[in-house]
Amino acid sequence: MTVTPGAQRAHPGFLAGSPDPRNLLIWRLYFSVDEPMVDVLTELSNHLSARAASAQALVAAIKLADDFHATGTLWGADILVASEQSLPRREEFPVIAPGGASFNASVVGRDRGTNVAVLRLAEPLSSPVIVQGEAKAGTLALAYGADGAGGATARMGIVNLAGPEWLSSAGGRIDKRIVLDIRLSAGEEGGPALDVAGVCLGITTFGPRGQVLVIPAATVARIVPALLRDGRVARGWLGFALQPVAVPDALREEAGQASGLMVMSLAEDGPAARAGIIAGDIVLGMNDVPAGRFRALARQLGTESIGSKAALRVIRGGIILSIEATVEARRPG
Amino acid sequence: MSNPAPALSARSLRVFIAASDPRIRTNLRAFVLEAGHHAVDSADGADIVLSLVRNPAPEDRLILIPPGGDLGQAGSLAADATSAQLDAALRAVAAGLLVRSPQLTPPGFAALVDSAPETLLTPREIEVLKCIGEGLTNKLIARRLNISLHTVKFHVESLFRKLGATTRAQALAISFERYRLGTIEF
Repeated sequence: MTVTPGAQRAHPGFLAGSPDPRNLLIWRLYFSVDEPMVDVLTELSNHLSARAASAQALVAAIKLADDFHATGTLWGADILVASEQSLPRREEFPVIAPGGASFNASVVGRDRGTNVAVLRLAEPLSSPVIVQGEAKAGTLALAYGADGAGGATARMGIVNLAGPEWLSSAGGRIDKRIVLDIRLSAGEEGGPALDVAGVCLGITTFGPRGQVLVIPAATVARIVPALLRDGRVARGWLGFALQPVAVPDALREEAGQASGLMVMSLAEDGPAARAGIIAGDIVLGMNDVPAGRFRALARQLGTESIGSKAALRVIRGGIILSIEATVEARRPG
Repeated sequence: MSNPAPALSARSLRVFIAASDPRIRTNLRAFVLEAGHHAVDSADGADIVLSLVRNPAPEDRLILIPPGGDLGQAGSLAADATSAQLDAALRAVAAGLLVRSPQLTPPGFAALVDSAPETLLTPREIEVLKCIGEGLTNKLIARRLNISLHTVKFHVESLFRKLGATTRAQALAISFERYRLGTIEF
């Protein structure tokens, strides 16, 4: 292949004499054979490394053991947000702040539902500014982690998926399903995911099979104040473990649904046990809302359900009956 | 804890391998022999049932089901365990201990998944599955549940279809994984 020096080609009309800075990159690409010092890759790389340098102020290493750490994202001057599943059940962790200084941070609260944990640093740091933004599929994403010595590690990829709201298996509502086309090492989990404008999409976490998900900034912003206030996010709780089952053919018509949730075990002295629910009962619905599936029931057990009466429609011994229980707040742990 | 005596002795255990894929069966058989135990051809009289589960686990897992077939007591081991680990796990499960292996990758932050309605078991099918776990034959299951042999066969076939299993032990192993992953506390 022969390389034609750009200067010998006719200028594309839209470029000629245009002062528009958006055309600068195209100019440089066009003349890059003549002027290798301003080539676009070098420029891209310089921009990326500048972004990584400023992202350093956002990440702190949460020490789990001598050689292991997780990443925390500085959400405020003394507030560190982390992926809940990455932290062992401890009250306090040593933290390496940006620049390398060591502090202690105490766990203020954790929420398994949204996978968010909040820690408070013993001393406030210069407060970084987190600008929240929305992820869009196909855009470039930059993910940062703590390197454990005060610096930042960097990853680049694209937003693989930006889908609708979803419910986690622990019952938390996540504002958007965000998947990154990025791999992370274990120590980087919990760091910020930014778009190219430096806007924070959320914090990274591992989904099933090592897939990298983002807990959206909107979800973090919703959960952090609740954790700072109460140390937890209260969810409604009935105290039974359920497994989906098919409704027996003979009862399907009367039940009006093909599936239900069979009670496999009961928390001792939990609301369901006290209401007289027994193992083997099949829950069909709650407060006239069919609950043949987990999602339908989970949606009815938000914070606002605590203290309310739950009329449970259940199958027991071939008969459909109604049992009333009082929803409690999920016990910690 | 009903059957601790045989496991406490140093004797080899009789392991029934529940796998429909002949290649997996051959590999598991070699693995059992390497761990110093016998592979037997029938679940009847076996000390342990060993199976490999692919779905819906995040990775392949060996499932060790104790005599009596209590799924709550079944052991779970990474598929790349060493033969020394398999030996220890077989003996521990036979002695009524719980076996879990820490090197399995954590499940990760996952969505609440509702399984496809056509794969859900009926309460009757769950009862039949429990009987299978106790090692009962179809004839004994019919007597226990007070239903006809024909009906038992119908339920077993339906179980196999819904679980994607071809043997009774495999159905147990798959339902164990389902139970573990598909039971949620509210």
